[in-house]
Amino acid sequence: MSDIAQRLQFGGRTWLRWAIPAALIIVLYIVPQLGGSSQFRLGEYEEVLSFLVIAVALNIAMGYGGQYILGITAVFAVGAYGAILAAKYHPQGIGLLAMCVIGAVIGGVGGMIIGLPALRVGGFYLALVSLFAALAIPTVAQKWAFVGADTGIPLYAVLGYSPKLSGELLYVIVVSLVLLATLFSWALVHSRVGHRFVALHTSEQLATSIGITAYRTKLLAIGISSVLAGAAGGIYVYTQQFFAPGSSSVNFAVLLLAGMVIGGGGSITGPLIGGAIILGINQFFTSLQQYNGIVFGVLLLLFAIFLPNGLLARLNVLGERLGINPPRGLGVPGGRLGADLDPAAAAAAPVGAPAAPVNGSGPGAGLTTKPARQLPAWPPVIGAGDSGALIVEGARRAFGGVTAVDNVDLTVKRGQIHGLIGSNGSGKTTLLNLISRFYSLDAGQIRIGSVRLDDKPPHAVARAGIARTFQSPKLMLRETALENVIPAVELRVRCLGLESVLRLPRGIRVNRQARAEALEILQTLGLHHVLAQEASALPHGTRRLVELARAIALRPSFVLLDEPAAGLSPVELELLAEVCQNLARSGVGVLLIEHNVPMVLSIADTVTCLHQGKTLFQGTPEELRANTSVASVFLGIDEPLETPS
Amino acid sequence: MAVTLFLTALVAGLAVGSVYGLIALSYTVLFNSTSIFNIAQGDLMMAGVLVSYFCLDRWHLPQVVALLAIIAVVVALSLIEERVAVRPFLRRPGIGLGWFIATLAFSLIIETVASNIYGQNPVVPIPGALGNGTFTVAGVHVATKFILAFVVMIVVMVELEIFYKRTWLGTAMRGVAEDREVAALRGIDALRISRLAFVIAGLVTALAAFVVAPIVSSDVTVGLTYGLKGFIALAIGGFGSLRGCVIGGLLLGVAEQMFDLYVTSNYEILAALILVLIVLAVRPSGLFGTRAVRQV
Repeated sequence: MSDIAQRLQFGGRTWLRWAIPAALIIVLYIVPQLGGSSQFRLGEYEEVLSFLVIAVALNIAMGYGGQYILGITAVFAVGAYGAILAAKYHPQGIGLLAMCVIGAVIGGVGGMIIGLPALRVGGFYLALVSLFAALAIPTVAQKWAFVGADTGIPLYAVLGYSPKLSGELLYVIVVSLVLLATLFSWALVHSRVGHRFVALHTSEQLATSIGITAYRTKLLAIGISSVLAGAAGGIYVYTQQFFAPGSSSVNFAVLLLAGMVIGGGGSITGPLIGGAIILGINQFFTSLQQYNGIVFGVLLLLFAIFLPNGLLARLNVLGERLGINPPRGLGVPGGRLGADLDPAAAAAAPVGAPAAPVNGSGPGAGLTTKPARQLPAWPPVIGAGDSGALIVEGARRAFGGVTAVDNVDLTVKRGQIHGLIGSNGSGKTTLLNLISRFYSLDAGQIRIGSVRLDDKPPHAVARAGIARTFQSPKLMLRETALENVIPAVELRVRCLGLESVLRLPRGIRVNRQARAEALEILQTLGLHHVLAQEASALPHGTRRLVELARAIALRPSFVLLDEPAAGLSPVELELLAEVCQNLARSGVGVLLIEHNVPMVLSIADTVTCLHQGKTLFQGTPEELRANTSVASVFLGIDEPLETPS
Repeated sequence: MAVTLFLTALVAGLAVGSVYGLIALSYTVLFNSTSIFNIAQGDLMMAGVLVSYFCLDRWHLPQVVALLAIIAVVVALSLIEERVAVRPFLRRPGIGLGWFIATLAFSLIIETVASNIYGQNPVVPIPGALGNGTFTVAGVHVATKFILAFVVMIVVMVELEIFYKRTWLGTAMRGVAEDREVAALRGIDALRISRLAFVIAGLVTALAAFVVAPIVSSDVTVGLTYGLKGFIALAIGGFGSLRGCVIGGLLLGVAEQMFDLYVTSNYEILAALILVLIVLAVRPSGLFGTRAVRQV
């Protein structure tokens, strides 16, 4: 609750941030008093409300997880059929809760049947296969007598069935269920599970590089969303006492999608607002139904092109202008992050760096003064049990007719910095991607000690203790710098996803711990002034440092850095060198790909030089300086490189 | 008797499968040059069926005129779609499936407009280009409209293969999908290529509309169904392969008819769903898939 107090302190109108949703919730509860409370009307409201639960479900999988399960209405339909059949054959024993549970279970199974195969390909395959299921299930039901064929199953006609809840009490319960689903989705996306969804949504390579299992995480997103959509089927059946093929046509799936896109996927309330608008129009303006397809189609098209983040993002911008929202992307004292920054840490903040994020060092400001503090040790946590080196042996990989990496041997020892240099196209990044298992080897071996890595999936490489950065930084752009680092910590502070979502004691502790550790690493890199800034607002050099922080946050045994110095300021460059040396001192093996040869030579213990995919040189920096072949390839001269004075 | 039933189902399956194959081919043409999967293809075909209905049933125009009118309308709609729903996303760097939503929205618009134009009129049969006759081979009645669909699909596939393999433009069209930037450096105008891809895909779709109209009659509300079945043909055959499209389409068409005949009638859509789930589970890249679908 102190969080609320924190927000209330800030600015003049921020109380509206809480007052507006609160007012909307109250309005939701008293809608029957405003718009008529006849049994028929209540039924109509409840129908829309049960659809909103599907919208919440769709938002979890698609808005956050990036998994386009467009045909989620298929899942809703099988859940609903399961619930109504159960009630038909056991009219006495099936209440609202039982229907929700039955719907959730059957919906979850249905979602898996679609998701398991479709996700093997991924991308738009899931969208199309699930849409086809949304088309097929009502079509099959139309002909199938067991589920009532075309006319469906009317529960009110079943002898002995009498629901315990009805009237306004039922309405209030259904509203509460929608709010519960929303609260659940909030808790989910702000948990370690939700962090994984967003990472995966951003980039599969990014996600696997911090040890997230892509397939399983996608399946989880779809599973959770299917369970919720199936439960919505239960709510629908209980309130409508009826289900027929027409209750979930494929066009309904498109309506739900439109609601989500228009409201704003990837935000908690956006899909509810959009869903209420679209489904409300569809439900209560039936005279226009003939043309709804045109109206919704045009809206969907316009939003997809011009406002891909939806209405809510617009409202948020408006809220900022009116002083209702704290400005996003600025580390405002007293804001969300103000609570995280404990005074002691702030006091110990690096000398010369702005103590508080005030004007002048807002967005766009890179690191201008280097942190004077001694970097703490980062001894390996993942893969620390092994003491072997990272060994690449006879690695070969061809793309078409070009052999990008040709019989390369390389050993990165723990506690040492191994520089990897070479001109553009010499195969450096390919070698890194081979180690990360983004590409597979044509020949050769990659292992840590005696443990083979080259037959493992990419996430297993991270879990074996190898962290990496990317040539062009991969960050979750809509998340803050801090939120970008947290998922990496969460790989090694283990607890069940459910504990984190439901905020069970261990979940709370681990959530806090992940946040605190991420915060600490960013602070030691002198990034305390950008903690709460959205990654999209960060300058290039800072993005690199945030990525570096993420790699360190894994507490790996090996770090692979892909041109980390590109675009850094001199001060940042110095920090980078210190970080590399500190990693090595802590016992971490560093593989440093760089074009900045002086820097590599000044800190590396061993240097490998690649040329056209082959190893041209391997040895100490001193040997490299004396080597004529490297000099001739790089500079076209026949003399050894001069030792810089 | 049993054999005759089997053969009749087989012929019908091959005919409908040819239509799925044609839609799959149009998807492939677009995907090869734009990396976009245009779900509106099925509804574009239905727009063609609507034109066919007006030309042939209402106005009694000659078949050739109908064909030209279908081509004109479908290609025009295809170009409009490229402009309003696809190009904004081609310009945008980076990832995302925004284009998928846009093409789905466009599909919805076409379908609603088409069904409003068609109104409440009852579904009527549309005369085929080779008449409505049938001939009998080994006791099996084969409708000429079935033959037409099959022949058109084969011809389109062969033409496309020649185009991609033998002509500079065809190579350029594939190069653009591989890497837009490199293609641009080689002097290939990516925007013009993607427009051209929409024209060719529109042409293939128009031909599909021309041959499907006599088979499905004038029901213009099943565009999404055909669009999705075209995708399933593609998923079975394998992405990126023209032959895969054809074989996937034919397999799907025949599987539906066989399911109807031997398993249970009226549920042929279930056959398609089961088939695609099995293929994806066992062989995700499809039977003839040459390359994995790019991770999007």
